[in-house]
Amino acid sequence: MTARRSRALAGARGVGYALGLPVVLLALWWVAGDGSANIFLPSLREILDAFGRVWFSDVFVHDVVPSLWRLAAGYGAALLAGVAAGYVIGRWAVVRALASPALAYFRVLPAPVIIPVLLVAVGIGDTTKLIVIAFGALWPILLNTADGVRGVDEVTLETAAAYRLTGWARHRLVLRAASPQIFAGARQALGVAIILMVVSEMLMSTDGLGFTVIQFQRTFAFPEMWSGVLLLGVLGFVLAKLFELVERYALRWHRGLTGRQEGSS
Amino acid sequence: MTSGSGDGGSVLLRVDGVGKTYVSRERTVQALAGIDLAVRDGEFVSVVGPSGGGKTTLLKIVAGLLPATAGEVVLGGRRVTEPPAELGIVFQEYGRSLFAWKTVRENVELPLRQRRTPKAERRALVDEALEAVGLDGVGTAYPWQLSGGMQQRVAIARAIAYRPRLLLMDEPFSAVDAQTRGDLEDLLARLWRRYAITVLFITHDIDEAVYLSERVVVLGSAPAAVRAEIAVDLPAERDQLSTRSDPRFAELRAQVYAQIRRPPADAGPVASASIRQETVTT
Repeated sequence: MTARRSRALAGARGVGYALGLPVVLLALWWVAGDGSANIFLPSLREILDAFGRVWFSDVFVHDVVPSLWRLAAGYGAALLAGVAAGYVIGRWAVVRALASPALAYFRVLPAPVIIPVLLVAVGIGDTTKLIVIAFGALWPILLNTADGVRGVDEVTLETAAAYRLTGWARHRLVLRAASPQIFAGARQALGVAIILMVVSEMLMSTDGLGFTVIQFQRTFAFPEMWSGVLLLGVLGFVLAKLFELVERYALRWHRGLTGRQEGSS
Repeated sequence: MTSGSGDGGSVLLRVDGVGKTYVSRERTVQALAGIDLAVRDGEFVSVVGPSGGGKTTLLKIVAGLLPATAGEVVLGGRRVTEPPAELGIVFQEYGRSLFAWKTVRENVELPLRQRRTPKAERRALVDEALEAVGLDGVGTAYPWQLSGGMQQRVAIARAIAYRPRLLLMDEPFSAVDAQTRGDLEDLLARLWRRYAITVLFITHDIDEAVYLSERVVVLGSAPAAVRAEIAVDLPAERDQLSTRSDPRFAELRAQVYAQIRRPPADAGPVASASIRQETVTT
């Protein structure tokens, strides 16, 4: 009984800590901004009002859904390509030596810079946006996978070889051993993908979240514009939390392992 | 010789003039200088030698993990060029050798899966192996949740479940405390008898080699060659207390020790031959 109650209390306290500061900030915004005469900085009341009006309508289907779809497709493509290429680069020294100079170049190249190039080469369609998102998200995944694969423990590999784990079994084993680093890269890439989704939609789109926010700004619909900013923040937060859930599940062995090592040292 | 299982058995493993020279740009290092060694079916043979003396290199060549630069290894009549089937292996670094993302059970099961052992048989083999090392009931735990000694038991169970003809062990008990070490030694001795496995055991611990083996092979310092082979004529049933206080145990360990400490200068074929002679007559 008491154990359950103290656990419930601890849970409530955790929620309290998590929500405390945001609630205070929103309350401050609400009070300080109330009755604001500045049309560029509308009050929170107006923004929330606009939020319900704008996003809980068919705008959701016409703009939010396409954005999410682009994000998912671009990010998914980056995951597949990044893990595959990172594996090859991490596993074979020759490939690594060949690829390193090009990688050093591309990893520092700001992804949005390819937008004008793609506009000329590919056009303004969804393909361009997908390529921009995938291109930006690729590098953190690729580089982290390559590092992780390269760093797989030698005794682990020798054990696998001695028990004749070859072919797919070996590939799976190496990827699994490298998965903590692959996840680190994927987490970083998710943030990049969201940024590029918005940027690409702002620059070259006729729908989507980025386009809608720009559209509201151009038509002086400032509460609506602010509500888009709010929605993007919430979206980023929810996606990061979802990612965390997947990572927690996939790396549950790793958390316990590192926790124990830290605890015993 | 008293321990029966090895006597008269056919030769399972033959190491013929195996040499290993590492060549890099800066220098050339000879680790092994022509090792000759034969292990009969069912025999328990230890290889001792100074640390850094190429014991692990020898084990990796026998396991097919490392190519020799001279000579050859023949296991069960077939030349070893890659890890042979039915080879079990246990490394010193259990924490790195076990797959951390797999449970104890999955670790033991993985080599059998790869070998495409049918599911029911696989389950039976894993159950039996875990029971044999005293780990029934922890199958769903992750290796890192267990103590070092228990983790090494998992690695041993993995080898046992695989039903290897040859079990290679590279200083398997060097990283655990003395009490656990004794327990693991006795466990290994029991398993060796129960499953009639052939064991090639690498260690730097002379006492451990004498306590466990039927025969001790002494390697010199690098470039390592076989200095002596000493048959261990202790009773087959061994016990941490009585065996280790047996005067014959003390004699044997002194013999092994003398061979290891012998300066390389007088390490000649004559000395080596006289030792072999001695072992035959005892």
